[in-house]
Amino acid sequence: MRIKDRRKSLEACTESGWEAFDLLTEEPLEDSDIEQLRLAEGSFLYMKQLKKPFFKIEYHTYIIKGVKGDSFFRFAVHRDHKEEMERLIGLINGERSS
Amino acid sequence: MVYLNNAATSYPKPDAVINAWQKAIRELPSGQFRSSADADGADILSCCRKRLGRLLGIADTDRIYFTSGSTEGLNAIIAGLGIEASRIITTATEHNSVLRPLYNLPGIGGSPVLLPCDENGTVSPESLEEKAKNGDFAAFILNHCSNVTGAIQDAGAFGEIAKRYGLIYILDVSQSAGCMEIKADEWGVDALAFTGHKSLMGPQGTGGYYVRDGIKIRPLKYGGTGFDSSRLLYDEDTYEYEAGTLNYPGTEVLSEALRWVSDTGVDSIREKERQLTDCLISELEKTDGIRIFGKYLKDRGPLVSFTSGILPPSDIAYILQNSFGIVTRAGLHCAPLIHEHIGSGNKGTLRVSFSYFNEKEDVDALIAALREMA
Repeated sequence: MRIKDRRKSLEACTESGWEAFDLLTEEPLEDSDIEQLRLAEGSFLYMKQLKKPFFKIEYHTYIIKGVKGDSFFRFAVHRDHKEEMERLIGLINGERSS
Repeated sequence: MVYLNNAATSYPKPDAVINAWQKAIRELPSGQFRSSADADGADILSCCRKRLGRLLGIADTDRIYFTSGSTEGLNAIIAGLGIEASRIITTATEHNSVLRPLYNLPGIGGSPVLLPCDENGTVSPESLEEKAKNGDFAAFILNHCSNVTGAIQDAGAFGEIAKRYGLIYILDVSQSAGCMEIKADEWGVDALAFTGHKSLMGPQGTGGYYVRDGIKIRPLKYGGTGFDSSRLLYDEDTYEYEAGTLNYPGTEVLSEALRWVSDTGVDSIREKERQLTDCLISELEKTDGIRIFGKYLKDRGPLVSFTSGILPPSDIAYILQNSFGIVTRAGLHCAPLIHEHIGSGNKGTLRVSFSYFNEKEDVDALIAALREMA
């Protein structure tokens, strides 16, 4: 998996006090990509029973959520901890090149 | 795609509205005041004001002014009145388009007195009377229909009390205009704000406000008005409220949308939307873990808010949109104070809102998706 771009989510209002971004991936998300996202700290939820399975990783400073098969996932981060998103992008993109 | 977010903005628009867009941008620009190039001499603004007057129950349609929407309209009213927030009574059901001007506008900003609502989002008219008789208040602002629970306030009863205590009565009809009867004059409304893009079926960026004759407000904006151009200074008796270039194409489209609403009939629209909300509530009651807010309302606007014991509202909305192609809205809905009163907490609700163009199949699709998640 490689994150190729980001865009500010128009739904930022839903996470009051937080900012939300959609991180765009080069390929649709597979189980292996979702597993890779678990490099991020936090509780993990995976609703595999859905036709398009939903996953969520929740930590006190951020929430990652997405759907298997989509070419993006959402990263909601508290405005005081925006560096967490850069850290995750670096971790994911850096791993691929190593 | 199933669109169930009409309380945010209505979609789809009637064909007449889509056609009006094409007509509005193809034709020679209308004059407003800086050109003699009126295409056919039709007065788009006056026509739109008259159609609004019929739907809002306002006879003096010359005192309806166009803005970008309710937020600008409410800012114009609140800033223009210049009454300190501490002398204004409002309710816990208000949208941030009322609350934020009250708390932040220069020369106004402070703490308004807030009337509580019950667990359904209903505000008691008696609570206004209690406050009004025990303080030095000048105005009352009421959200006619809650965008969180759909509760419809008794605007007539509030109007009587406001009149009795000499309060300027300001009504926000953002969620009610176009989907239920509004009788601004009969209810004693002194000022009113509306938006064009929800149940009035017009485009985003249209809306406005009304101020009754005799209520003086200082304009929010000054600029060109097309006449008396040599005059620089305006006093209280010569205010102009539509300075600058208006959204002529948008107003023309809004006007066609209003015609569609009137031709279809507010009663017909209301009945269809009522059937959809009743159907949804009935199905939600059979679904495990669902808590409906405003469940016991006798009458409601075309929306239903609920939470699920399984996931927070924002996750359900995300799954509905990305796994099932169903668009809803989650969160506080820009009405932050009501949630404490209805018990929905800091994560708010999932809101489903209908328009005339929704069908029972849309409710079925939503219920099937929620049950798959359970």
